[in-house]
Amino acid sequence: MPALIAIRGLRKAYVMGDETVHALAGVDLDFQKGEFVAILGPSGSGKSTLMHILGFMDTPSEGSIVFDGQEVAKLDPDKRAWYRSNRVGFVFQSFNLLPRLTVLENVALPLLYRDNSDPAANAAAAAVALERVGMSHRLDHRPSQLSGGERQRVAIARAIVGTPSIIFADEPTGNLDVKNVDRILELLGSLIKEGITVVLVTHDLAVAEKAHRVISMRAGLVHEDRTR
Amino acid sequence: MKLFDRIRPAVINGLRELQANKVRSLLSMSGIILGVASLVAMVTVVQGMVGNFRQFVDAMGGIEKITVTRELLPKEQEHLAELSEGITMRDVNRIRKTVPLVDNISPEARVGFERLIVEGRETSTYVTGVTADYLPVAKRWVEPGAGRFVSDLDVVNMNDVIVLGSAVVPELFAANEDPVGKVIKIRGRRFTVIGVLNNIEGTGMQIRSANSRSGGGAWRWRNSGALIPVTTAQAKFIGNDRLTGLGLRIGDANLLHDAVEQTERTMLAGHKGLRDFAITTNEQTLEDFRKTEAAFKLSLGGVAGISLFVGGIGIMNVMLASINERIREIGVRKAVGARGSDLFLQFLSEAAVISVVGGLIGLVVSMGIVALMNYILTQALPSGSVATLDWLIMAQGLAFSVVVGLVAGVYPALRAAKLDPIEALRHE
Repeated sequence: MPALIAIRGLRKAYVMGDETVHALAGVDLDFQKGEFVAILGPSGSGKSTLMHILGFMDTPSEGSIVFDGQEVAKLDPDKRAWYRSNRVGFVFQSFNLLPRLTVLENVALPLLYRDNSDPAANAAAAAVALERVGMSHRLDHRPSQLSGGERQRVAIARAIVGTPSIIFADEPTGNLDVKNVDRILELLGSLIKEGITVVLVTHDLAVAEKAHRVISMRAGLVHEDRTR
Repeated sequence: MKLFDRIRPAVINGLRELQANKVRSLLSMSGIILGVASLVAMVTVVQGMVGNFRQFVDAMGGIEKITVTRELLPKEQEHLAELSEGITMRDVNRIRKTVPLVDNISPEARVGFERLIVEGRETSTYVTGVTADYLPVAKRWVEPGAGRFVSDLDVVNMNDVIVLGSAVVPELFAANEDPVGKVIKIRGRRFTVIGVLNNIEGTGMQIRSANSRSGGGAWRWRNSGALIPVTTAQAKFIGNDRLTGLGLRIGDANLLHDAVEQTERTMLAGHKGLRDFAITTNEQTLEDFRKTEAAFKLSLGGVAGISLFVGGIGIMNVMLASINERIREIGVRKAVGARGSDLFLQFLSEAAVISVVGGLIGLVVSMGIVALMNYILTQALPSGSVATLDWLIMAQGLAFSVVVGLVAGVYPALRAAKLDPIEALRHE
């Protein structure tokens, strides 16, 4: 079976003043469908840059990315927006739910930007996604009325509402108490049963250990890639 | 995705933002509110004045009327005063023959301010001698059932008949009394009432008169007075064949200047070159007024324009502040798939919502201003004008505010659209 994502020779350089920073210095990686992967590394190791590029928020300076059989390394902003809306889900450390919107509206947000978006169908899909994360009882609440763990579950519902191929979770447990960490990681891990590739980006070894495959990064390169 | 499908959620979102930031939104709207309110109120009041004046000019016979009046000789002709015979029926005949542009000529011989006496009652009003041509020149008529006007036969026979203005009737007769056929005494002469002139009512815009009475109404000065045959006036009151003036009606207002010139030549020729008359038209009055109107519109439009401009700056300012506060939101929206154009639309819609709501509030305020101005005008001046709001002006005011909102929203919306999602998500 071909890999969901195959990256070859991926480089990203930033110019900061007189200095050029190589955030990614030539990365080759494959991600399979339904994998639970952790990208581990200290800050500055290039893991965030990799996530941003694979999440279609940024473009590489060099290299190729084949996503679902398509070369996607150099897409224009609108095309990348399409991929974010249709193929990718994000879970953030600080949840990033919009405070003015209800839980249901927050979850339906990615569908709003799709072609032929239909409010009723979006709400129905959002309700299903919230059911999946066990938050059906809070549809009309505002994010501020929820606990941290609940907010992150809503954020996960938002990430899966568009039936993405891959979800990037950037330090998803960084703002949670111990009790909630395991529940969220368990929830994320369970998504692979639905064929979703889950990529956990973290600097926390304990968190990374929950994944089935751990990729360690150092100075813009893959330092270690091990599958348990 | 159809544009409407993209705009609808953006507008709903805009209304929510407005609701969430009530005070700030109201402040940002204040410029628009003031702008729209002043624009609509001022244009309404100015239009009220314009309408009033148009009616005034019309009541004076309109733009197609030329008035010839008696005038003292100019200084260089003063020594020829003895040769001046004034305006007479001979002038009427000359103009009729040589100025084909003139459709009707109404010779008028003013008798003066006279006492009209019916047994037990009396009133005083202007009595003027006229011919049948008075009606087309003055744009007046006698309503069916209100008798008839002075006829050619009345003029030839010097009949003692009189036509009353509608405001005179209630002063001499009871409400259920038919004045036609009744006898009125003027300076001891007995005149038979043959008709009553139509009552002139202001339409739309009113000139309110504090002492307006029934039958007189708004245009009391036009509804008073009494008319008798010109020959009767000359023979039985004035004692000579002089007229006080001529009213000429021309068929085509565009030929006014030609008609004036021809009339002047004819008059000069008939008067052996003596300038013992003056020719006036309503054109100058109308022109003066048009200038005043233009000046008003320009200055008030300027005031309204400046407040709308300031309103636009206010909206832009608030939008920029709002975007600064919501950089993270923009980042989140982009991360979940919003394109730059989606965010552009969202923030432009927010600006539009602010301006539409502000514009609507402005319209409500303008209603208050117009009502207040009407109140003040009618209190301060008995004949103050009353303005009424016009839907078209209100629609224009609203359209203006929307345009201002959209223009003011473009720059902030562009900023939002261009934000880098990664940077935006990192923003604290």
